[in-house]
Amino acid sequence: MKISDILSKDRINLNLKSSDKESVIKELISLLAKTGSIADKEEFFEAVWEREKTYSTGIGMGIAIPHGKSKAVKDAAIAFGKSERGIDFDSLDGKPAHLFFLIAVPEESHDLHLKLISTLSRKLMHEEVRKALYEADTEEKVLEALSFD
Amino acid sequence: MKKLVAVTACPTGIAHTYMAAENLSIAAKELGVEIKVETQGSVGIENELSEEDIKSADAVIIAAATKVDKSRFHGKPILEVPVEQAIKDAKSLIEKALKMEKPADYVERVEEIHKKRSAARTGAYKHLMTGVSYMIPFVVAGGILIAISFAFGINAFKNEGTLPAALMQIGGGSAFALMVPVLSGFIAYSIADRPGLVPGMVGGMLAVSTGAGFLGGIISGFLAGYTVDFLKRSIKLPKTLEGIMPVLVLPVLSCLIVGLLMIYVIGTPIKSIMTALTNWLTGMSKANAVLLGLILGLMMAFDMGGPVNKAAYTFATGLLASGIYTPMAAVMAAGMTPPLGLALATLIAKDRFTDDEIEAGKAAWVLGISFITEGAIPFAAADPLKVIPSIMVGSAVTGALSMLFGATLRVPHGGIFVLPIPNAVGNLPMYVISIIAGTVVTAFMVLLLKKKAS
Repeated sequence: MKISDILSKDRINLNLKSSDKESVIKELISLLAKTGSIADKEEFFEAVWEREKTYSTGIGMGIAIPHGKSKAVKDAAIAFGKSERGIDFDSLDGKPAHLFFLIAVPEESHDLHLKLISTLSRKLMHEEVRKALYEADTEEKVLEALSFD
Repeated sequence: MKKLVAVTACPTGIAHTYMAAENLSIAAKELGVEIKVETQGSVGIENELSEEDIKSADAVIIAAATKVDKSRFHGKPILEVPVEQAIKDAKSLIEKALKMEKPADYVERVEEIHKKRSAARTGAYKHLMTGVSYMIPFVVAGGILIAISFAFGINAFKNEGTLPAALMQIGGGSAFALMVPVLSGFIAYSIADRPGLVPGMVGGMLAVSTGAGFLGGIISGFLAGYTVDFLKRSIKLPKTLEGIMPVLVLPVLSCLIVGLLMIYVIGTPIKSIMTALTNWLTGMSKANAVLLGLILGLMMAFDMGGPVNKAAYTFATGLLASGIYTPMAAVMAAGMTPPLGLALATLIAKDRFTDDEIEAGKAAWVLGISFITEGAIPFAAADPLKVIPSIMVGSAVTGALSMLFGATLRVPHGGIFVLPIPNAVGNLPMYVISIIAGTVVTAFMVLLLKKKAS
């Protein structure tokens, strides 16, 4: 199992256009829809937004990981986006988010996919991984930063 | 190395659970703390904490947005925070968790109070209590063996060569006979260390033989201790002769001084006081007996194992040496009712107590029946103005009733565990009734005074 199984190059956008929380989530959802992982964009957005209401997934350190579990999701997938100027995401530390991971999980999910996502989540807690992500200017470098052993 | 265990969980169990877990591990590593983090996420429970893990942990961190079962962490300090806290600042969480105090168990808390009080004793009170604590096992052993001898018939020990006679010889002729010398000896020991023991015990023997009883023994103990202390400081021998100080000079001189003072100066007046006291106690009218029981009861409950309580206790224990058993009965009964009454109160009126107190009430039964008056302290500390008067009234009732019924007790400790021993207690049925009455009165008083817990 490799990170590229759920996060492929065509699910990475290094230059996000959005400027607010709602639109950046939608922008990332459309990436997943394009690659065929999402059946119903609206329905999945509702799931992510619902989750966001309990408390923001802006975990601070410039990172946000909006996620949702929904039957609108066909396969577990992750989209990655980067915003140079940053977007206000109601983050824990109050600072704007620059790195976004949108995680989509179907109702009935493969344990291996969930494990992959949990490993990715753990990775983000390491400073060197975050640094590599901030510096990544190509899709390859993003995948490299997240690559698993 | 300090060890922590943690549980992380979040609503969807997709990301935060794992980020929090990772962050705690990173922070723990940096702080040099061992940690094991159980994740309760979408993949199910991973890295599950074993019973061993939990047992060896200094504290527990629960970083969760969902409900986590805490029952398995019973008795550990638990720091519970929202999951995002562990992502935001795991380091300070760990520091905070390690600083948390273990939620003290009620029985442990009583033990701690007990220890603290012993350590806080100073001066004459400390020396007296040292003597009393060494004396008590002698009294317990002697009292119980005498009681067993009586079980063969109250005069059975008079037939020489029989078992009852042997038991009486062991309990009465030896263990009880050592009571005052040991009391006196260890008072002196507490004051002047080892050299105090010899004049202390010899002085105690003289207190017995001159009829000065336990009062004389207390005086001879202090006299011996301070005499040795004085001799140690005032006699200066050349270096080569220093070795004979503890084996020859101190024992001989101190015994001589203490012994002569006991025989010619102290013995006679103390004897007359003891005789007067003994006569008064044995010939006491019912009204006076009740009054004495009432006072002893008030004293036992007033500071629950403190100096006032110990004064009453020492008085009653000392009187056992003079064959007076009623105050001992009153004192033990009155020392049992405070925890028992509070336990009863938590049982019948749960709304007056906090959950912790209701839980503590269960342990208070055990402490009460074991004659550990300190068991009432956690309750009294929480609400002294309501609880202390209540237990004093209850203990006064018990003490007075016990004296009124002429209940006797030959053993200075043991709570209800000495009651089944034949003849340890005289007038057992009424003695039990005295204890029950005081327990009920205590509970009633507490409920009368204490308002509903908010």
